[in-house]
Amino acid sequence: MGKVLEVKDLKISFKTFFGEVEAVRGISFDVGKRETVAIVGESGCGKSVTANSIMQLLPMPPAFFKGGEILFNGENLLDKTEKEMKEIRGNQISMVFQDPMTSLNPTMKIGDQIVEGLREHRKLTQKEAEQKAIEMLDLVAVPQPEKRIHQYPHEFSGGMRQRVMIALAMVSTPQLLIADEPTTALDVTVQAQILELMKTLQDRLDMSIILITHDLGVVADMSDRVIVMYAGQIVEQGTVDDIFYRPGHPYTRRLLASVPHPNLSKDEPLQAIEGSPPDLYVPPKGCAFYDRCDRAMKICKDHMPEFISHGDSHCSRCWLHHPMAKQVQDLGKEGA
Amino acid sequence: MNPLISVRNLKKHFDVGEGMLKAVDGISFDIHEGETFGLVGESGCGKSTAGRTMIRLYEPTEGELLFNGQNVYELSSREMKEVRKNFQMIFQDPYACLNPRMTVEDIVAEPLDIHKICHSKKERRKRVMELLELVGLGKEHAMRFPHEFSGGQRQRVGIARALALNPKFIVCDEPISALDVSIQAQVVNLLKDLQAKLGLTYLFIAHDLSMVRYISDRVAVMYLGHIMELADSEELYNTPLHPYTKALLSAIPIPNPKEQRNRHRIMLEGDVPSPINPPQGCRFVDRCMYATDICRQKTPRLEEVKTGHHVACHLVKEINKEVL
Repeated sequence: MGKVLEVKDLKISFKTFFGEVEAVRGISFDVGKRETVAIVGESGCGKSVTANSIMQLLPMPPAFFKGGEILFNGENLLDKTEKEMKEIRGNQISMVFQDPMTSLNPTMKIGDQIVEGLREHRKLTQKEAEQKAIEMLDLVAVPQPEKRIHQYPHEFSGGMRQRVMIALAMVSTPQLLIADEPTTALDVTVQAQILELMKTLQDRLDMSIILITHDLGVVADMSDRVIVMYAGQIVEQGTVDDIFYRPGHPYTRRLLASVPHPNLSKDEPLQAIEGSPPDLYVPPKGCAFYDRCDRAMKICKDHMPEFISHGDSHCSRCWLHHPMAKQVQDLGKEGA
Repeated sequence: MNPLISVRNLKKHFDVGEGMLKAVDGISFDIHEGETFGLVGESGCGKSTAGRTMIRLYEPTEGELLFNGQNVYELSSREMKEVRKNFQMIFQDPYACLNPRMTVEDIVAEPLDIHKICHSKKERRKRVMELLELVGLGKEHAMRFPHEFSGGQRQRVGIARALALNPKFIVCDEPISALDVSIQAQVVNLLKDLQAKLGLTYLFIAHDLSMVRYISDRVAVMYLGHIMELADSEELYNTPLHPYTKALLSAIPIPNPKEQRNRHRIMLEGDVPSPINPPQGCRFVDRCMYATDICRQKTPRLEEVKTGHHVACHLVKEINKEVL
C-alpha cells in the first residue's frame, strides 16, 4: 500500500509568556492510500496541533517547528513556501473542523462560499462553478441544492452545515482529508448520517482520512488504524482490533475501560483514571503517564520508554513490554 | 411508595415572535426518592428546559409539580425560597457556571450566605471544608480562583455548591459532556457515591446515551417537547419499543469494532423539525418509517404497554409484535 503521508519525529512547541509549551514531542506515523487513521487522546494531548501542522495552519509565532518532517507523497511540506502550500491546501489535502458554525462565513451565501473555493483552485466561469457547487451539495446529500445555494449558514441546521463543510473540503477531490472532531458538535442520529457520508465519499474518491476524535465509539466505527496520543507523544499505535482487543499501553487500557460498557453492572464503579495529564511547560523526563499509571515501575519515572513492537504494525511505548521487565500476565491479552 | 416529585402535564412555551416555541409540551412523570431519572434526547428536544422549569428557574406555561404533595408552582416567592433549598442544579459548562472573581470558598458558601445558614465565619468555613472534602477537593483549594482548576475539578466545585444546603433533589444538566472521557468517569463515580451517602435524587439530563444507561434507574426519551418512551433503563436499552428510541439507540457508536461492524443501523432521514408551531399529531411523524394517517391527525398519549414501560405511539403493538 502506497503511503500518502509520513510524519517523522515531528516536534512542535508554542512560545508563551510563561515559557515554552512542548505540545508535540516527537511523533512519527504514516497514512496509507484509502486508509482511515484515527488519532485519539484527551484535550491537550496534541492531536489537533498535529492535524493543523500538516496543513500548516498553526499561527507562527507563537508556534514553531522544533524538528521533524511531514512528507506528503514524498515531499516535505515543511520546506514548502506559503504559495506552494496554498496549492496543496484545499487541493490535495482538505480539512473539516469541529464547529461548522464558526468555520463558515455567516455573511456569505452557501453557494458563493463553495464557488469561491472552486474558482480559487480551478479555472471555471461563474456559471460553471455554480453548477459544480450544486453538484457538490448533491454529493453530500443536501436536499434541494438549487434552492439551498442561495441561503446563508444560519438557515442551515448543524448537520446540514457540516455537510456543507464536507462539500467544501471535497471540491478538489483531495487525496487526504483531515477531520478534526467532525461530529462532536452533532447529535447521534446526525452523527451517524455524517459518518456514513464520509465512508461513502472515501470509497468513491479513493481518499485517505485522518480522523481526530475522543469518541472511542466513532473510532471503532470508522478507522483502520488507531494512534493513541498522550501528553504530546504517541503512546501506542496499531490496527483498530489491536487497540481495542490487545491494548499494550496502560493508558490505552484505562481509556477503554473508562467508558461505560453496555454489560457493566450499575453497582460497579466506572474505572476512572485519577489525576490529570502533566503540564507540558515542564514535560516529564520519563513516561508522561507515570503519575496516573497503576503499573508504574521505578524506571518509568526518569527514563522515557522506547517503542516496543507487538507485531506487524502494533507498537506501544511502555517499559512493561521490555524483554527484561517482569512479565505481566494479563497485559495485552484483555478484551476481545 | 409516594414519589418525591410528580410532574403533571408540564408545559413551557416561549414567544419567539414568529410563533410559539413549544419547548416542553405536556410531559408527566414521577421521580422516586433516591432514584436517578435519566432524561435523554437530541439538542432542541426540550430536555434542559424541562429540567429548568422543574426547579422553577423558568415559570411554567401550564402544569403542576408536586413536591411532598405541594404544588411548587403555586407558592409565593417567600415560600418558594424555603422550598428551593431542596432543589439544586449542576450545570453543563464548568467554565461558565463559576464566577471567575470569587474564590472557591465564596462560591461554595454562596447558597449558605443567601439562606443565612451560618452564623459565624468559623462555621461557614467549617461547612465549606466539609463540602470540599465530600467532593474530593482539599483545604488548600478553598482560597483559589476557578481559573486555577481543571474542568473536572471545577465540576467538583459546582457539585460542592449544589450540596451546600443539603438538597433532596438535584438536576444534573449535562454535567459531564464538557469533560474528557477519563475525567467523566471520575465525576460520574463521585455523583454515584454522593447519592449513596446522602440519599440524593437526581434528574440526569444528557445526550450521551451510554452514560445515561449506566447511571440511571429509569430513563425517559424526549423528542420535540414530548416524552416518547419511559422505562427502566435496562428495559429501555434492551427492548426499545418506540421507533424513535430504536433509531436513537442504534445510532450510538459502540466502542467495540467487531460489534460495530456487524450492527444494523436504523438511519433517520433529515433533521429534527422546528419546535416553533409544531403541527398536530405525533411529533416524530415526518421521520418515522411506519407513519400512517392517524399519526398525522392525533397526538399519541404516553401509555403503559408493559409493566413500567410507557410508550407514546399509535402503532406500538403492530411494530413490536414479537415482544408485545
